[in-house]
Amino acid sequence: MDMLTTLAQADLPAAMAPATLAHYLFLSAAMFAIGLIGFLTRRNLIVMFLCTELMFQAAGIALIAFSRFHMEQTGQTFVIFVLTVAAAEAALALALVVLLFRRRDSLDAEQWSEMKG
Amino acid sequence: MLNLAESITSLLTTATDAAGGLQQAAGHGAAEAAAHGATHATDVVMGPWYVLLIPLLPMLGVVLVTLTALLGIRTKLPAWLTVACLGGAFATTVVMYWNVSAGPAVTYGFRWIDLATGNGHRFTADFGLYVDSLTCLWMLFVTGLGTLIALYASEYMADDLKAGYARFFMAFNLFVFSMACLVMADNLVLMFLGWEGVGLCSYLLIGYYFKKPSAVAASKKAFVVNRIGDLGLLMGIFLTYVEFGTVQYAELFPMVEPYVELVKSGMAWDVPMRVGLIPVLFMVGAFGKSAQLPLFVWLPDAMEGPTPVSALIHAATMVTAGVYLIARTYAFFVVSPIALPIVAWVGAATALVSATIGMAQFDIKRIMAYSTVSQLGYMFCGLAFLSTAGAAFHVLTHAFFKAMLFLACGAVMHGFAGQLDLRKLSGVAFMKGWGIVGIAMFVGCLNLAGFPFTAGYFSKDMILAEAFVTQGPGYSVLGWVLLVTAGLTAYYTFRVFFRVFVGPRHAEPGDDHHDHAHDAGEHGDAEPDHHHGFHPHAPGWAINLVLALLTVGSIAAAGLYFVDKENHGWVGGMIHNSSAYTSAGSAAFLDSANIGMHVDDPVGTGHSADHDDAHGGAHGTLFGQDPHKIMYYVSAVFGVVGILTAAYLHGPKGPLGLFIGGRTKAATSRADGLADAMMPLPTYARNKWYFDEFYGALIVKPLRALSHVFHLIDKLLIDGLVNLIGSLPRFVASLIRPSQSGLLQGYAAGMAAGLAVVVVTVWMVIAVTGGGS
Amino acid sequence: MTEIVSPYLLFIGLLIAGIGVAVAIPRRRVNPQAIGAVIAGGGLGLVLLSLALTNPDAIPNLHFYVFGVIALGSSLRVITHPRPVYAALFFILTILSSCGLYVILAAEFLAFALVIIYAGAILITYLFVIMLATQAPSEDRIEVLAEYDVAGREPVFAVTASFVLLGALTALLFTGSATLESDAAPGDEAARSMAVMELMPGKAERLLREQGAIGKKDMVVKVHAAEGVAEVQTSEALTTVPLPEGVEPTNVELVGFDLLAEHPGTIEIAGIILLMAMVGATVLARRQSELEDEAKRRASEAIAARGGLTADAVIADTDGEAG
Repeated sequence: MDMLTTLAQADLPAAMAPATLAHYLFLSAAMFAIGLIGFLTRRNLIVMFLCTELMFQAAGIALIAFSRFHMEQTGQTFVIFVLTVAAAEAALALALVVLLFRRRDSLDAEQWSEMKG
Repeated sequence: MLNLAESITSLLTTATDAAGGLQQAAGHGAAEAAAHGATHATDVVMGPWYVLLIPLLPMLGVVLVTLTALLGIRTKLPAWLTVACLGGAFATTVVMYWNVSAGPAVTYGFRWIDLATGNGHRFTADFGLYVDSLTCLWMLFVTGLGTLIALYASEYMADDLKAGYARFFMAFNLFVFSMACLVMADNLVLMFLGWEGVGLCSYLLIGYYFKKPSAVAASKKAFVVNRIGDLGLLMGIFLTYVEFGTVQYAELFPMVEPYVELVKSGMAWDVPMRVGLIPVLFMVGAFGKSAQLPLFVWLPDAMEGPTPVSALIHAATMVTAGVYLIARTYAFFVVSPIALPIVAWVGAATALVSATIGMAQFDIKRIMAYSTVSQLGYMFCGLAFLSTAGAAFHVLTHAFFKAMLFLACGAVMHGFAGQLDLRKLSGVAFMKGWGIVGIAMFVGCLNLAGFPFTAGYFSKDMILAEAFVTQGPGYSVLGWVLLVTAGLTAYYTFRVFFRVFVGPRHAEPGDDHHDHAHDAGEHGDAEPDHHHGFHPHAPGWAINLVLALLTVGSIAAAGLYFVDKENHGWVGGMIHNSSAYTSAGSAAFLDSANIGMHVDDPVGTGHSADHDDAHGGAHGTLFGQDPHKIMYYVSAVFGVVGILTAAYLHGPKGPLGLFIGGRTKAATSRADGLADAMMPLPTYARNKWYFDEFYGALIVKPLRALSHVFHLIDKLLIDGLVNLIGSLPRFVASLIRPSQSGLLQGYAAGMAAGLAVVVVTVWMVIAVTGGGS
Repeated sequence: MTEIVSPYLLFIGLLIAGIGVAVAIPRRRVNPQAIGAVIAGGGLGLVLLSLALTNPDAIPNLHFYVFGVIALGSSLRVITHPRPVYAALFFILTILSSCGLYVILAAEFLAFALVIIYAGAILITYLFVIMLATQAPSEDRIEVLAEYDVAGREPVFAVTASFVLLGALTALLFTGSATLESDAAPGDEAARSMAVMELMPGKAERLLREQGAIGKKDMVVKVHAAEGVAEVQTSEALTTVPLPEGVEPTNVELVGFDLLAEHPGTIEIAGIILLMAMVGATVLARRQSELEDEAKRRASEAIAARGGLTADAVIADTDGEAG
């Protein structure tokens, strides 16, 4: 099975066919869609933030796939920045979540609707 | 002459291009002057620099008085500053009078307006002063009377030391400045600045007692009515610029000369209509400012202002601005076939109507106001009868005696707490301390009545005589109207005198309760028959001094008639050297001009006002005599009859009533019975022939109704539309507001749906266009 | 045939998958999550099948399908598990499977970085916050699931929007892939990565010295990647030596050069973002503790007002409790 050999990168990676790239992109889009569904349906603030991380991850897969497709490192570099932003966001958002939980003793996102029109 | 005719023809053919027409019409020298934009025409010399002081000193007064107000000075300092500044201006005027040569001179101040109007034309107006004898004449009495009345006002306005003293004198100075601009301007635009300036000061001073609703209403009325006239003047100035391309007198007058020549040679109808329209528009302005018939209603109401203001602005100076305007631009008037006859008829009608109103009034200040309107009518008639000298002489004499009459009335008003009703005052002249006021009033009344050998008598005669001399549409009828009016004038003038100043001593105070912080010695011992608490206070030294000076001046003014007899008096000599005369041409021209009305008299038999000895045989006559001579007697008869009638109806018993009077009480007289017999005419006259009501019904009410209609339209239609538009967003918002649930996930769902729509759209577009290739 | 069949197959698969996901979202009463998962899995399988059918020549290798199915399944479980702790753990599984995908895509460095940062740091933070922000189970309520975890909100709308988006994207991707051309020509990739070697003469010198191709005092002056030789300054002269085997740059080296040589400004920005996050978190935490002090003061005043103790004593008391 020459398919298995492609897992180990003993040699320089070969270029990827566009149709193969599309499969990775579909995977990324599907993961993004699932993350979006989660963000929209779950009412727990922490799980909502987990879903945003899921969407970050989907974007990361797309970036890495493009990096491979173009044989460039910029996509990978960009994932590093995505990681940075995700870490910063996790620090701030979780601090806020804790703050909000202390205010209302609940993680329900629907508790916070002061911006109602 | 042939050249001129050609140019006139070409002017008519190329009338569409005003500037071009101007160049051709002006032809000879003025075109060159206009072409290279010279400020002064070549025949006008440079004036002396110091005449600039005449407007600048009152302006300095404005600044200084404003400073005193800012510094919170509560003394009579503003009055003394004003007297000093105006006195300086008067002294400068006298110097100017002694030094002014026969020809006009222009003193250049600075370039005021300089606009490029396109097509290579320029519009320029300087702050420059045009000095000729007409200017001198006007400025002499404006600054002279201004100084005296400022002195008078220093005492008269003393009650207002705490409130508006500085404001009064600021406006007073500003008025004299504006009047100087008006009279001394060397162009029409600066003249208009002065014209509006005096209107503004008039407004400010009529409304001086701004807490009094009637004063505020009167000031508004004066302002609004004057706007009508000002519009006419403004349009006249526009038309002048369009037609001649300049507003400088020194350039204008030579340009009008060809038209005057044209009229002289009997081709009056060849003058372009637009040139003929200019004097008509000027005339509207003059009617507004000088309170002539359609627009006279503001002047009587203007008596709400302080009396010094009435004396200076609304009797002596500002209201004569219309006369000045016509005199200054007389050349325009003689080229128009209709302007001067209109002036004549309006003037005479105004004189008669306001005299009849004056007969029925009880408020002595209002009587004086109506007599002012009436006398202004005389002046306009004088202008129209080609007697600019007579008009100017009457302006001068009237300025003196009417100012004096007003100041005397003001003294009464000041002393009797605002009392002006002639039924409630009697024998004032014989109260202690009121002698000078009585004498001044008597001299003033004699002048106004045209009693023989007074100044008013001579000046009025000059006008009346010309009514019969000058040929014009119905001028002799107007002469008789004016004669009758002279009789009425004598009657109502002496009605005031006999009722208020002689007879049994009686005084009821008015309802002005000012703070009488006077020394006991200043109080006159009037007869407080019925009002024991009331002590009228006699006028102080300032009022008495001013009245005495004016009395002397009024008497002396008669002497002016005999100076320079060749030119029909001193004033005639002054006029002779000014644009009011020189532009109009010689006596020969005036003989032939006759304003085109005399188609049956082609050779021209009208006569100059200024050459009563020089005219030939063909002459208007009165009782078969030369009107200039017989008028001395005729007008004297009318005047004396008027005085005797007043004495009979209103005079007190005894010598002061000329032994024919029979009045014993203040409130009633023989006239009451006569008035009852003549009902309802006196009521009509007392109500000013319902002019105000007529204007109210004709103009104000329809406008008000219209404004209500527009108010409704505004409220229902415009506001409705605006509110509809305003409520539209609110309505739309109410539809989509529920989407703003305030829930984080709600917004996220919206974003997701929007993103889906966008991506689906992109997909569709790509699918339709075939894969984007 | 594929032009006609596969879009419909794709959409049918997405529809089934969507229904499955909608069923799998937690509900209050009837909660057939397992059935939903099976339906969703079937739908997604159908989709993958249809995608494979569109271009059978270019299907990815088997590992893609293995890791992809694990990643999608665990991420589906992240959004459907009612307990946040399990959701976080399933998220770690998602991360790990996507790390596998990264390795397939020749991004080893990022695969390990992802495990360390996401699974190691961020998710542990999440777990701590979940512990902090969950009500402790009480005696009368053994079920610790919060009400808001039990039921999702508007699953049908969310699933519809998301799957319409997914369908459109997928259709676009597979339409566009036909015209997409790689800018990397065949055989070019080696040259591209070798070009980086010119920046690393030190590495070439070390390798050459280890292999004994050059002496201890010789220095590599310059690397000519295109010719595959290195200029070496020996004690005698300047010579050229062929580059050794295995000199090709590794993934870490490539990413490192790209990061530092191409995006230095972005690194600064990232540093600032992290600093701001740190400061922000500190500020938020501080506000929190001040709020607690204020609440304590109010409570003590209320107690003091009710009588008995003085306010100071109460504060001391509550402080002691807090300590």
